[in-house]
Amino acid sequence: MTINNYVRVAVLAVASLTLTVSPASAHKLREKGAEIDVADSNVMVTPARNWNRLDVKVGKRTETWTLDGEQLNDVTFFGGIEAGNPLVKEKSKKRDPLPKFTKSTLLIEVPELLEGTYRTYKQIGAFQLTSTEPQKFLGQDGVTFTYEYTDADGLTRKGEAYAAIISGKLYMATFDAPRLHYFARNIEDFRALASSARLQ
Amino acid sequence: MMLKSALPFLAIASSFAISANAKPAPNPPPYAGIYQPQGVDELGMWREDDEGERRLAASPLVIRDEKLTKYLKDVLCSAVGTDRCNSTRIYVVREPTFNATMSPNGTMRVFSGLLLRMRNEAELAAILGHEFGHFESRHSLSKFQATRRGTDMLAWGALLASMTPSYDSRRTYQSLEISVYGSLFRYSRDNEREADLLGLGYLNKSGLRPQAASEVWQNLIGEIEASATSRGLKKPRFDAVAFTASHPPEGERAGYLAALAEPTGADRDDGAVRYREALSGWLPVFLEDQIKLNDFGGSEYIIAKLSESGWTPHLWLARAELYRTRGHQRDLVNAVQFYSNAIALDSNLPDAYRGLGLSLIKTGDQTQGQAALSKYLALKPNADDAKMIALMLPKEPSQ
Repeated sequence: MTINNYVRVAVLAVASLTLTVSPASAHKLREKGAEIDVADSNVMVTPARNWNRLDVKVGKRTETWTLDGEQLNDVTFFGGIEAGNPLVKEKSKKRDPLPKFTKSTLLIEVPELLEGTYRTYKQIGAFQLTSTEPQKFLGQDGVTFTYEYTDADGLTRKGEAYAAIISGKLYMATFDAPRLHYFARNIEDFRALASSARLQ
Repeated sequence: MMLKSALPFLAIASSFAISANAKPAPNPPPYAGIYQPQGVDELGMWREDDEGERRLAASPLVIRDEKLTKYLKDVLCSAVGTDRCNSTRIYVVREPTFNATMSPNGTMRVFSGLLLRMRNEAELAAILGHEFGHFESRHSLSKFQATRRGTDMLAWGALLASMTPSYDSRRTYQSLEISVYGSLFRYSRDNEREADLLGLGYLNKSGLRPQAASEVWQNLIGEIEASATSRGLKKPRFDAVAFTASHPPEGERAGYLAALAEPTGADRDDGAVRYREALSGWLPVFLEDQIKLNDFGGSEYIIAKLSESGWTPHLWLARAELYRTRGHQRDLVNAVQFYSNAIALDSNLPDAYRGLGLSLIKTGDQTQGQAALSKYLALKPNADDAKMIALMLPKEPSQ
Protein backbone atom coordinates (compact mmCIF):
# COMPACT_ATOMS: atom_id res chain seq x y z
CA MET A 1 0.00 0.00 0.00
CA THR A 2 1.47 3.34 -0.98
CA ILE A 3 1.42 6.38 1.25
CA ASN A 4 -1.19 7.82 -1.00
CA ASN A 5 -3.42 4.83 -0.32
CA TYR A 6 -2.86 5.17 3.43
CA VAL A 7 -4.01 8.74 3.24
CA ARG A 8 -7.03 7.70 1.24
CA VAL A 9 -7.96 5.00 3.78
CA ALA A 10 -7.45 7.41 6.66
CA VAL A 11 -9.66 10.00 5.00
CA LEU A 12 -12.34 7.38 4.42
CA ALA A 13 -12.09 6.18 8.03
CA VAL A 14 -12.47 9.71 9.36
CA ALA A 15 -15.38 10.32 7.02
CA SER A 16 -17.17 7.16 8.12
CA LEU A 17 -16.51 8.01 11.77
CA THR A 18 -18.08 11.42 11.43
CA LEU A 19 -21.11 9.75 9.91
CA THR A 20 -21.52 7.12 12.62
CA VAL A 21 -20.50 9.04 15.75
CA SER A 22 -23.58 10.32 17.53
CA PRO A 23 -23.95 14.07 17.73
CA ALA A 24 -22.69 15.81 20.85
CA SER A 25 -26.23 16.67 21.92
CA ALA A 26 -27.56 13.10 22.23
CA HIS A 27 -28.83 11.52 25.44
CA LYS A 28 -25.99 10.68 27.81
CA LEU A 29 -25.44 8.15 30.55
CA ARG A 30 -24.70 9.63 33.97
CA GLU A 31 -22.76 6.99 35.78
CA LYS A 32 -23.07 5.99 39.40
CA GLY A 33 -20.56 7.69 41.67
CA ALA A 34 -19.17 10.12 39.09
CA GLU A 35 -19.68 13.74 40.13
CA ILE A 36 -20.90 15.95 37.32
CA ASP A 37 -22.16 19.49 36.79
CA VAL A 38 -25.78 19.99 35.74
CA ALA A 39 -27.82 22.64 33.92
CA ASP A 40 -24.82 24.63 32.64
CA SER A 41 -24.26 25.82 36.16
CA ASN A 42 -22.01 25.42 39.16
CA VAL A 43 -24.33 22.80 40.68
CA MET A 44 -22.56 19.43 41.04
CA VAL A 45 -24.38 16.17 41.72
CA THR A 46 -23.12 12.66 42.40
CA PRO A 47 -25.67 10.07 41.26
CA ALA A 48 -26.05 7.03 43.50
CA ARG A 49 -27.18 4.95 40.53
CA ASN A 50 -27.00 5.25 36.78
CA TRP A 51 -29.27 7.92 35.27
CA ASN A 52 -29.91 9.14 31.74
CA ARG A 53 -29.44 12.77 30.88
CA LEU A 54 -31.99 13.61 28.20
CA ASP A 55 -31.28 15.75 25.21
CA VAL A 56 -34.28 17.95 25.93
CA LYS A 57 -34.04 21.31 27.53
CA VAL A 58 -37.20 22.80 28.96
CA GLY A 59 -35.53 26.16 29.41
CA LYS A 60 -32.34 28.10 29.87
CA ARG A 61 -30.19 26.70 32.68
CA THR A 62 -32.20 23.51 33.03
CA GLU A 63 -31.36 19.87 32.55
CA THR A 64 -33.60 16.80 32.51
CA TRP A 65 -32.66 13.36 33.81
CA THR A 66 -34.73 10.20 33.74
CA LEU A 67 -34.64 6.46 34.35
CA ASP A 68 -37.41 5.15 32.09
CA GLY A 69 -38.35 8.21 30.04
CA GLU A 70 -39.59 11.63 31.01
CA GLN A 71 -43.24 10.54 31.07
CA LEU A 72 -42.48 8.02 33.81
CA ASN A 73 -39.82 9.72 35.90
CA ASP A 74 -38.56 13.19 35.20
CA VAL A 75 -35.90 14.94 37.23
CA THR A 76 -35.38 18.55 36.21
CA PHE A 77 -32.55 20.69 37.57
CA PHE A 78 -32.85 24.46 37.51
CA GLY A 79 -29.33 25.79 37.89
CA GLY A 80 -29.67 29.41 38.94
CA ILE A 81 -32.68 31.05 37.30
CA GLU A 82 -32.00 34.79 37.29
CA ALA A 83 -34.53 37.41 38.32
CA GLY A 84 -36.91 38.38 35.52
CA ASN A 85 -36.88 34.95 33.89
CA PRO A 86 -39.51 32.23 33.74
CA LEU A 87 -38.66 28.70 34.93
CA VAL A 88 -39.07 27.15 31.49
CA LYS A 89 -39.02 28.50 27.96
CA GLU A 90 -42.22 30.33 27.04
CA LYS A 91 -44.19 29.11 24.03
CA SER A 92 -44.69 32.74 23.08
CA LYS A 93 -43.20 35.59 25.09
CA LYS A 94 -45.95 37.97 24.04
CA ARG A 95 -49.04 35.77 23.78
CA ASP A 96 -48.47 33.10 26.43
CA PRO A 97 -46.14 34.62 29.01
CA LEU A 98 -45.24 32.51 32.05
CA PRO A 99 -44.88 33.74 35.61
CA LYS A 100 -41.40 35.08 36.30
CA PHE A 101 -38.97 34.58 39.15
CA THR A 102 -38.31 38.08 40.50
CA LYS A 103 -35.93 39.74 42.94
CA SER A 104 -38.72 40.02 45.47
CA THR A 105 -39.88 36.38 45.21
CA LEU A 106 -39.78 34.87 48.68
CA LEU A 107 -38.73 31.30 49.32
CA ILE A 108 -42.29 30.48 50.38
CA GLU A 109 -43.55 31.75 47.02
CA VAL A 110 -41.38 29.32 45.02
CA PRO A 111 -44.03 26.54 45.22
CA GLU A 112 -46.61 29.04 43.90
CA LEU A 113 -44.23 29.97 41.09
CA LEU A 114 -43.92 26.34 40.04
CA GLU A 115 -47.68 25.88 40.36
CA GLY A 116 -48.38 28.94 38.20
CA THR A 117 -45.85 27.75 35.63
CA TYR A 118 -47.40 24.27 35.37
CA ARG A 119 -50.95 25.57 35.24
CA THR A 120 -50.19 28.21 32.63
CA TYR A 121 -47.96 26.06 30.46
CA LYS A 122 -50.27 23.05 30.45
CA GLN A 123 -53.55 25.04 30.73
CA ILE A 124 -54.76 22.77 33.53
CA GLY A 125 -56.89 23.30 36.59
CA ALA A 126 -56.18 20.09 38.47
CA PHE A 127 -53.01 21.04 40.37
CA GLN A 128 -52.63 20.82 44.12
CA LEU A 129 -49.73 21.76 46.37
CA THR A 130 -49.76 19.13 49.08
CA SER A 131 -47.00 20.22 51.46
CA THR A 132 -44.36 22.92 51.88
CA GLU A 133 -41.62 22.61 54.48
CA PRO A 134 -38.27 24.15 55.31
CA GLN A 135 -35.35 22.04 54.12
CA LYS A 136 -31.64 22.58 53.45
CA PHE A 137 -30.72 22.47 49.77
CA LEU A 138 -27.20 23.01 48.38
CA GLY A 139 -26.13 23.61 51.95
CA GLN A 140 -28.42 26.63 52.33
CA ASP A 141 -31.80 27.29 53.90
CA GLY A 142 -34.30 26.13 51.34
CA VAL A 143 -37.73 24.67 50.87
CA THR A 144 -39.11 21.30 49.89
CA PHE A 145 -42.61 20.88 48.59
CA THR A 146 -44.83 18.22 47.09
CA TYR A 147 -47.62 18.48 44.56
CA GLU A 148 -50.03 16.47 42.49
CA TYR A 149 -51.54 17.27 39.11
CA THR A 150 -53.40 15.76 36.17
CA ASP A 151 -52.71 17.08 32.72
CA ALA A 152 -54.17 16.44 29.28
CA ASP A 153 -53.08 12.78 29.13
CA GLY A 154 -55.42 12.07 32.05
CA LEU A 155 -52.67 10.51 34.16
CA THR A 156 -52.28 11.84 37.69
CA ARG A 157 -48.66 12.61 38.57
CA LYS A 158 -47.01 13.38 41.86
CA GLY A 159 -44.08 15.68 42.29
CA GLU A 160 -41.49 16.63 44.85
CA ALA A 161 -39.08 19.54 44.70
CA TYR A 162 -36.16 21.08 46.58
CA ALA A 163 -35.34 24.73 46.11
CA ALA A 164 -33.14 27.48 47.46
CA ILE A 165 -32.54 31.10 46.53
CA ILE A 166 -28.80 31.84 46.57
CA SER A 167 -27.41 35.31 45.71
CA GLY A 168 -30.68 36.25 44.02
CA LYS A 169 -30.82 33.15 41.82
CA LEU A 170 -33.23 30.25 42.07
CA TYR A 171 -31.79 26.74 42.32
CA MET A 172 -34.24 23.87 42.23
CA ALA A 173 -34.54 20.16 41.54
CA THR A 174 -37.94 18.63 40.79
CA PHE A 175 -39.13 15.05 40.41
CA ASP A 176 -42.38 14.23 38.57
CA ALA A 177 -43.72 10.70 38.13
CA PRO A 178 -47.11 8.98 37.77
CA ARG A 179 -48.80 8.55 41.13
CA LEU A 180 -49.39 4.91 40.27
CA HIS A 181 -46.24 2.86 40.97
CA TYR A 182 -43.51 5.09 39.49
CA PHE A 183 -43.45 7.88 42.06
CA ALA A 184 -43.02 5.57 45.03
CA ARG A 185 -40.56 3.37 43.15
CA ASN A 186 -38.03 6.11 42.44
CA ILE A 187 -38.59 8.88 44.95
CA GLU A 188 -35.71 7.66 47.11
CA ASP A 189 -33.38 7.71 44.09
CA PHE A 190 -34.35 11.33 43.51
CA ARG A 191 -33.89 12.27 47.16
CA ALA A 192 -30.42 10.72 47.10
CA LEU A 193 -29.62 12.70 43.97
CA ALA A 194 -30.96 15.97 45.36
CA SER A 195 -29.12 15.57 48.65
CA SER A 196 -25.85 14.93 46.78
CA ALA A 197 -26.13 18.32 45.09
CA ARG A 198 -23.57 20.97 46.05
CA LEU A 199 -22.38 24.27 44.69
CA GLN A 200 -18.95 24.23 43.13
CA MET B 1 -63.22 16.54 -15.58
CA MET B 2 -63.70 14.83 -12.34
CA LEU B 3 -62.12 17.74 -10.53
CA LYS B 4 -64.52 20.19 -12.13
CA SER B 5 -67.64 18.18 -11.51
CA ALA B 6 -66.76 17.69 -7.87
CA LEU B 7 -66.23 21.36 -7.05
CA PRO B 8 -69.88 22.54 -7.11
CA PHE B 9 -70.65 20.10 -4.30
CA LEU B 10 -68.26 21.95 -2.03
CA ALA B 11 -69.72 25.28 -3.04
CA ILE B 12 -73.25 24.08 -2.24
CA ALA B 13 -72.13 22.62 1.05
CA SER B 14 -70.84 25.96 2.20
CA SER B 15 -73.58 28.39 1.38
CA PHE B 16 -75.04 28.74 4.89
CA ALA B 17 -74.94 32.22 6.34
CA ILE B 18 -76.97 34.25 8.83
CA SER B 19 -77.22 37.98 8.43
CA ALA B 20 -77.15 40.31 11.40
CA ASN B 21 -80.66 41.49 10.37
CA ALA B 22 -82.12 37.99 10.39
CA LYS B 23 -85.58 37.32 11.77
CA PRO B 24 -85.92 35.54 15.14
CA ALA B 25 -84.90 31.88 14.99
CA PRO B 26 -87.82 29.56 14.13
CA ASN B 27 -88.94 26.79 16.43
CA PRO B 28 -86.84 23.64 16.22
CA PRO B 29 -88.25 20.77 14.14
CA PRO B 30 -90.47 18.30 16.03
CA TYR B 31 -88.57 15.73 18.07
CA ALA B 32 -88.09 12.54 16.07
CA GLY B 33 -87.61 10.20 19.02
CA ILE B 34 -84.55 8.36 20.30
CA TYR B 35 -81.98 8.16 17.55
CA GLN B 36 -79.85 5.15 16.69
CA PRO B 37 -76.80 5.34 14.43
CA GLN B 38 -77.35 4.34 10.83
CA GLY B 39 -74.92 3.24 8.17
CA VAL B 40 -71.40 2.00 8.53
CA ASP B 41 -69.84 5.45 9.09
CA GLU B 42 -72.14 6.42 11.88
CA LEU B 43 -72.07 3.00 13.53
CA GLY B 44 -68.28 3.15 13.57
CA MET B 45 -68.20 6.70 14.94
CA TRP B 46 -70.60 5.86 17.74
CA ARG B 47 -68.65 2.74 18.63
CA GLU B 48 -65.42 4.74 18.91
CA ASP B 49 -67.26 7.39 20.82
CA ASP B 50 -68.72 4.88 23.29
CA GLU B 51 -65.16 3.79 24.01
CA GLY B 52 -64.11 7.43 24.47
CA GLU B 53 -67.00 8.01 26.85
CA ARG B 54 -66.01 5.01 28.96
CA ARG B 55 -62.51 6.48 29.29
CA LEU B 56 -63.93 9.92 30.08
CA ALA B 57 -66.20 8.54 32.78
CA ALA B 58 -63.15 7.11 34.56
CA SER B 59 -60.95 10.19 34.02
CA PRO B 60 -59.59 11.99 37.09
CA LEU B 61 -60.32 15.29 35.32
CA VAL B 62 -64.09 14.82 35.56
CA ILE B 63 -65.73 16.65 38.45
CA ARG B 64 -67.94 14.11 40.13
CA ASP B 65 -70.57 16.28 41.77
CA GLU B 66 -73.97 14.74 41.27
CA LYS B 67 -75.78 17.91 42.26
CA LEU B 68 -73.86 20.08 39.81
CA THR B 69 -74.25 17.62 36.94
CA LYS B 70 -77.97 17.31 37.63
CA TYR B 71 -78.32 21.08 37.66
CA LEU B 72 -76.61 21.36 34.27
CA LYS B 73 -78.83 18.63 32.91
CA ASP B 74 -81.91 20.46 34.20
CA VAL B 75 -80.78 23.66 32.49
CA LEU B 76 -80.25 21.76 29.24
CA CYS B 77 -83.69 20.16 29.61
CA SER B 78 -85.33 23.51 30.27
CA ALA B 79 -83.76 24.81 27.05
CA VAL B 80 -84.25 21.94 24.62
CA GLY B 81 -87.16 20.13 26.27
CA THR B 82 -87.23 17.01 28.44
CA ASP B 83 -87.89 14.63 25.56
CA ARG B 84 -84.74 15.69 23.73
CA CYS B 85 -82.33 16.19 26.61
CA ASN B 86 -82.49 12.61 27.85
CA SER B 87 -80.38 11.44 24.95
CA THR B 88 -77.30 13.19 26.36
CA ARG B 89 -74.90 12.67 29.27
CA ILE B 90 -73.12 15.69 30.72
CA TYR B 91 -69.57 15.52 32.11
CA VAL B 92 -67.99 18.52 33.81
CA VAL B 93 -64.28 18.58 33.02
CA ARG B 94 -61.90 20.56 35.20
CA GLU B 95 -60.11 22.66 32.65
CA PRO B 96 -59.96 26.45 32.93
CA THR B 97 -60.84 27.27 29.33
CA PHE B 98 -64.00 28.64 27.72
CA ASN B 99 -65.29 25.54 25.98
CA ALA B 100 -67.96 22.86 25.73
CA THR B 101 -68.09 20.02 23.24
CA MET B 102 -70.61 17.50 22.00
CA SER B 103 -69.70 14.18 20.46
CA PRO B 104 -71.79 12.04 18.08
CA ASN B 105 -73.20 9.60 20.67
CA GLY B 106 -74.51 12.34 22.96
CA THR B 107 -71.54 12.87 25.30
CA MET B 108 -71.44 16.50 26.34
CA ARG B 109 -68.26 17.85 27.91
CA VAL B 110 -68.64 21.11 29.80
CA PHE B 111 -65.35 22.73 30.85
CA SER B 112 -65.06 24.40 34.23
CA GLY B 113 -63.77 27.58 32.55
CA LEU B 114 -67.13 27.91 30.80
CA LEU B 115 -69.06 27.67 34.07
CA LEU B 116 -66.89 30.42 35.55
CA ARG B 117 -67.72 32.78 32.69
CA MET B 118 -71.49 32.24 32.55
CA ARG B 119 -73.47 34.67 34.65
CA ASN B 120 -76.91 33.10 34.50
CA GLU B 121 -78.95 30.11 33.41
CA ALA B 122 -79.95 31.70 30.13
CA GLU B 123 -76.31 32.13 29.04
CA LEU B 124 -75.52 28.56 30.03
CA ALA B 125 -78.64 27.31 28.24
CA ALA B 126 -77.55 29.17 25.09
CA ILE B 127 -74.22 27.30 25.04
CA LEU B 128 -75.69 23.92 25.97
CA GLY B 129 -78.46 24.40 23.38
CA HIS B 130 -75.85 25.21 20.72
CA GLU B 131 -73.95 22.03 21.55
CA PHE B 132 -77.18 20.07 21.49
CA GLY B 133 -77.85 21.55 18.04
CA HIS B 134 -74.63 19.89 16.80
CA PHE B 135 -75.90 16.59 18.18
CA GLU B 136 -79.38 16.87 16.73
CA SER B 137 -78.06 17.83 13.29
CA ARG B 138 -75.43 15.03 13.37
CA HIS B 139 -72.70 17.49 12.48
CA SER B 140 -69.84 15.18 13.45
CA LEU B 141 -70.99 12.66 10.88
CA SER B 142 -71.52 15.15 8.06
CA LYS B 143 -68.17 16.80 8.79
CA PHE B 144 -66.41 13.44 8.78
CA GLN B 145 -68.01 12.57 5.46
CA ALA B 146 -67.25 15.98 3.95
CA THR B 147 -63.62 15.66 5.03
CA ARG B 148 -63.43 12.21 3.48
CA ARG B 149 -64.96 13.42 0.22
CA GLY B 150 -62.57 16.36 0.11
CA THR B 151 -59.45 14.37 0.82
CA ASP B 152 -60.56 11.61 -1.61
CA MET B 153 -60.83 14.24 -4.25
CA LEU B 154 -57.36 15.55 -3.47
CA ALA B 155 -55.92 12.04 -3.63
CA TRP B 156 -57.40 11.50 -7.08
CA GLY B 157 -56.33 15.00 -8.08
CA ALA B 158 -52.74 14.26 -7.07
CA LEU B 159 -52.82 11.05 -9.07
CA LEU B 160 -54.18 12.74 -12.19
CA ALA B 161 -51.78 15.65 -11.85
CA SER B 162 -48.83 13.27 -11.65
CA MET B 163 -49.96 11.54 -14.86
CA THR B 164 -49.51 14.78 -16.80
CA PRO B 165 -46.48 16.34 -15.17
CA SER B 166 -46.72 19.87 -16.52
CA TYR B 167 -46.57 23.23 -14.82
CA ASP B 168 -50.27 23.79 -15.49
CA SER B 169 -51.50 20.57 -13.94
CA ARG B 170 -49.35 21.14 -10.89
CA ARG B 171 -50.74 24.64 -10.51
CA THR B 172 -54.30 23.39 -10.97
CA TYR B 173 -53.72 20.79 -8.28
CA GLN B 174 -52.37 23.39 -5.89
CA SER B 175 -55.37 25.65 -6.34
CA LEU B 176 -57.65 22.65 -5.91
CA GLU B 177 -55.88 21.88 -2.65
CA ILE B 178 -56.47 25.40 -1.38
CA SER B 179 -60.17 25.32 -2.42
CA VAL B 180 -60.79 21.97 -0.75
CA TYR B 181 -59.12 22.90 2.53
CA GLY B 182 -60.78 26.32 2.48
CA SER B 183 -64.17 24.70 1.90
CA LEU B 184 -63.68 22.26 4.74
CA PHE B 185 -62.93 25.05 7.20
CA ARG B 186 -65.88 27.01 5.88
CA TYR B 187 -68.03 23.92 6.24
CA SER B 188 -67.06 23.74 9.90
CA ARG B 189 -67.97 27.42 10.39
CA ASP B 190 -71.31 26.84 8.68
CA ASN B 191 -72.03 23.94 11.01
CA GLU B 192 -71.43 26.32 13.91
CA ARG B 193 -73.83 28.86 12.43
CA GLU B 194 -76.45 26.17 11.93
CA ALA B 195 -76.03 25.02 15.56
CA ASP B 196 -76.34 28.66 16.67
CA LEU B 197 -79.61 28.95 14.75
CA LEU B 198 -80.97 25.75 16.28
CA GLY B 199 -79.73 26.74 19.74
CA LEU B 200 -81.59 30.03 19.50
CA GLY B 201 -84.67 28.17 18.28
CA TYR B 202 -84.67 26.13 21.50
CA LEU B 203 -84.02 29.19 23.63
CA ASN B 204 -86.80 31.24 21.98
CA LYS B 205 -89.23 28.42 22.75
CA SER B 206 -88.02 27.94 26.34
CA GLY B 207 -88.87 30.07 29.35
CA LEU B 208 -85.40 31.68 29.46
CA ARG B 209 -84.28 35.04 28.07
CA PRO B 210 -82.87 34.38 24.55
CA GLN B 211 -80.96 37.69 24.39
CA ALA B 212 -78.42 36.10 26.75
CA ALA B 213 -76.88 34.15 23.84
CA SER B 214 -75.48 37.29 22.27
CA GLU B 215 -74.27 38.57 25.64
CA VAL B 216 -72.04 35.48 26.05
CA TRP B 217 -70.07 36.54 22.98
CA GLN B 218 -70.03 40.21 23.87
CA ASN B 219 -68.54 39.22 27.21
CA LEU B 220 -65.95 36.99 25.59
CA ILE B 221 -64.96 39.83 23.26
CA GLY B 222 -64.48 42.04 26.32
CA GLU B 223 -62.32 39.43 27.98
CA ILE B 224 -60.13 38.82 24.93
CA GLU B 225 -59.64 42.58 24.54
CA ALA B 226 -58.75 43.01 28.20
CA SER B 227 -56.31 40.13 28.03
CA ALA B 228 -54.62 41.49 24.89
CA THR B 229 -54.41 45.03 26.28
CA SER B 230 -52.70 43.95 29.48
CA ARG B 231 -50.16 41.93 27.46
CA GLY B 232 -49.44 44.92 25.22
CA LEU B 233 -50.77 43.17 22.12
CA LYS B 234 -52.56 44.79 19.21
CA LYS B 235 -56.33 45.03 19.58
CA PRO B 236 -57.67 41.77 18.16
CA ARG B 237 -60.23 41.87 15.34
CA PHE B 238 -63.55 40.19 15.94
CA ASP B 239 -64.95 40.48 12.42
CA ALA B 240 -62.19 38.90 10.33
CA VAL B 241 -62.45 35.26 9.30
CA ALA B 242 -59.11 33.46 9.19
CA PHE B 243 -58.66 30.82 6.47
CA THR B 244 -58.34 28.06 9.05
CA ALA B 245 -60.96 29.35 11.52
CA SER B 246 -63.22 26.52 12.73
CA HIS B 247 -65.81 28.93 14.19
CA PRO B 248 -67.30 32.20 12.93
CA PRO B 249 -65.68 35.30 14.46
CA GLU B 250 -67.04 36.37 17.86
CA GLY B 251 -68.29 39.73 16.52
CA GLU B 252 -70.39 38.05 13.84
CA ARG B 253 -71.88 35.61 16.33
CA ALA B 254 -72.76 38.35 18.81
CA GLY B 255 -74.46 40.23 15.94
CA TYR B 256 -76.62 37.49 14.46
CA LEU B 257 -77.46 35.88 17.82
CA ALA B 258 -78.95 39.19 18.94
CA ALA B 259 -81.05 39.28 15.73
CA LEU B 260 -82.18 35.66 16.15
CA ALA B 261 -83.44 36.23 19.71
CA GLU B 262 -87.21 36.62 20.04
CA PRO B 263 -87.75 40.29 21.00
CA THR B 264 -90.75 39.47 23.17
CA GLY B 265 -88.54 37.19 25.27
CA ALA B 266 -86.43 40.10 26.57
CA ASP B 267 -88.46 40.34 29.78
CA ARG B 268 -88.13 36.67 30.66
CA ASP B 269 -86.22 35.45 33.67
CA ASP B 270 -82.56 34.64 33.11
CA GLY B 271 -82.10 32.59 36.29
CA ALA B 272 -79.07 34.51 37.58
CA VAL B 273 -79.88 33.86 41.24
CA ARG B 274 -80.47 30.15 40.69
CA TYR B 275 -77.21 29.90 38.73
CA ARG B 276 -75.13 31.61 41.42
CA GLU B 277 -76.67 29.42 44.07
CA ALA B 278 -76.01 26.18 42.18
CA LEU B 279 -72.41 27.14 41.46
CA SER B 280 -71.67 28.74 44.85
CA GLY B 281 -69.50 25.86 46.06
CA TRP B 282 -67.48 25.65 42.86
CA LEU B 283 -67.01 29.28 41.84
CA PRO B 284 -64.14 29.93 44.31
CA VAL B 285 -62.36 26.82 42.96
CA PHE B 286 -62.85 27.76 39.30
CA LEU B 287 -61.83 31.32 40.09
CA GLU B 288 -58.61 30.10 41.67
CA ASP B 289 -57.91 27.98 38.57
CA GLN B 290 -58.38 31.09 36.43
CA ILE B 291 -56.22 33.54 38.38
CA LYS B 292 -53.29 31.13 38.39
CA LEU B 293 -53.18 31.11 34.57
CA ASN B 294 -51.00 34.23 34.43
CA ASP B 295 -53.61 36.09 32.36
CA PHE B 296 -53.91 39.31 34.34
CA GLY B 297 -56.21 41.23 31.99
CA GLY B 298 -58.58 38.34 31.32
CA SER B 299 -58.84 37.37 34.99
CA GLU B 300 -59.40 40.97 36.07
CA TYR B 301 -62.21 41.24 33.50
CA ILE B 302 -63.88 38.04 34.72
CA ILE B 303 -63.69 39.18 38.34
CA ALA B 304 -65.16 42.59 37.41
CA LYS B 305 -68.04 40.90 35.57
CA LEU B 306 -68.74 38.54 38.48
CA SER B 307 -68.66 41.44 40.92
CA GLU B 308 -71.54 43.14 39.09
CA SER B 309 -73.88 41.08 41.22
CA GLY B 310 -72.07 42.08 44.40
CA TRP B 311 -68.59 41.58 45.88
CA THR B 312 -68.10 38.42 47.88
CA PRO B 313 -65.12 37.62 50.14
CA HIS B 314 -63.93 35.06 47.57
CA LEU B 315 -64.01 37.61 44.77
CA TRP B 316 -61.89 40.05 46.79
CA LEU B 317 -59.55 37.22 47.74
CA ALA B 318 -59.16 36.13 44.10
CA ARG B 319 -58.48 39.71 43.00
CA ALA B 320 -55.93 40.14 45.78
CA GLU B 321 -54.13 36.91 44.86
CA LEU B 322 -54.10 37.99 41.21
CA TYR B 323 -52.36 41.25 42.12
CA ARG B 324 -49.96 39.66 44.63
CA THR B 325 -48.82 36.99 42.18
CA ARG B 326 -48.14 39.60 39.48
CA GLY B 327 -46.04 41.16 42.18
CA HIS B 328 -45.11 44.73 41.12
CA GLN B 329 -44.75 46.99 44.14
CA ARG B 330 -47.89 48.90 43.10
CA ASP B 331 -49.75 45.58 42.81
CA LEU B 332 -48.79 44.64 46.37
CA VAL B 333 -50.28 47.85 47.72
CA ASN B 334 -53.53 47.09 45.89
CA ALA B 335 -53.40 43.48 47.04
CA VAL B 336 -53.19 44.61 50.69
CA GLN B 337 -56.33 46.66 50.14
CA PHE B 338 -58.20 43.77 48.48
CA TYR B 339 -57.19 41.26 51.17
CA SER B 340 -58.45 43.71 53.79
CA ASN B 341 -61.75 44.01 51.89
CA ALA B 342 -62.09 40.23 51.89
CA ILE B 343 -61.35 40.05 55.62
CA ALA B 344 -63.85 42.83 56.30
CA LEU B 345 -66.56 40.66 54.72
CA ASP B 346 -65.40 37.39 56.27
CA SER B 347 -62.88 37.42 59.09
CA ASN B 348 -62.35 33.66 58.95
CA LEU B 349 -60.59 33.40 55.59
CA PRO B 350 -57.15 31.97 56.40
CA ASP B 351 -55.80 32.45 52.88
CA ALA B 352 -56.62 36.15 52.99
CA TYR B 353 -54.44 36.56 56.11
CA ARG B 354 -51.64 34.58 54.46
CA GLY B 355 -51.65 36.76 51.34
CA LEU B 356 -52.04 39.91 53.40
CA GLY B 357 -49.06 38.96 55.55
CA LEU B 358 -46.82 38.15 52.59
CA SER B 359 -47.81 41.35 50.75
CA LEU B 360 -47.21 43.51 53.82
CA ILE B 361 -43.78 41.94 54.40
CA LYS B 362 -42.84 42.57 50.78
CA THR B 363 -43.89 46.21 51.02
CA GLY B 364 -41.70 46.61 54.10
CA ASP B 365 -44.34 46.41 56.80
CA GLN B 366 -42.75 43.55 58.74
CA THR B 367 -44.64 43.89 62.03
CA GLN B 368 -48.15 44.00 60.61
CA GLY B 369 -47.24 41.33 58.08
CA GLN B 370 -46.12 38.98 60.82
CA ALA B 371 -49.29 39.71 62.77
CA ALA B 372 -51.37 38.68 59.74
CA LEU B 373 -49.31 35.51 59.29
CA SER B 374 -49.82 34.56 62.96
CA LYS B 375 -53.54 35.02 62.44
CA TYR B 376 -53.28 32.68 59.41
CA LEU B 377 -51.60 30.02 61.53
CA ALA B 378 -54.15 30.49 64.31
CA LEU B 379 -57.01 29.95 61.84
CA LYS B 380 -55.32 27.08 60.00
CA PRO B 381 -52.77 25.44 62.32
CA ASN B 382 -52.44 22.40 60.05
CA ALA B 383 -51.83 24.38 56.87
CA ASP B 384 -49.59 22.71 54.28
CA ASP B 385 -47.02 25.45 54.65
CA ALA B 386 -47.38 26.04 58.41
CA LYS B 387 -43.71 25.27 59.13
CA MET B 388 -42.45 27.65 56.45
CA ILE B 389 -44.76 30.42 57.65
CA ALA B 390 -43.66 29.81 61.25
CA LEU B 391 -40.08 30.54 60.16
CA MET B 392 -41.14 34.01 59.05
CA LEU B 393 -42.56 34.90 62.46
CA PRO B 394 -40.43 36.49 65.19
CA LYS B 395 -38.82 33.87 67.44
CA GLU B 396 -40.67 33.58 70.73
CA PRO B 397 -38.41 34.52 73.64
CA SER B 398 -37.13 31.34 75.34
CA GLN B 399 -38.36 30.80 78.87
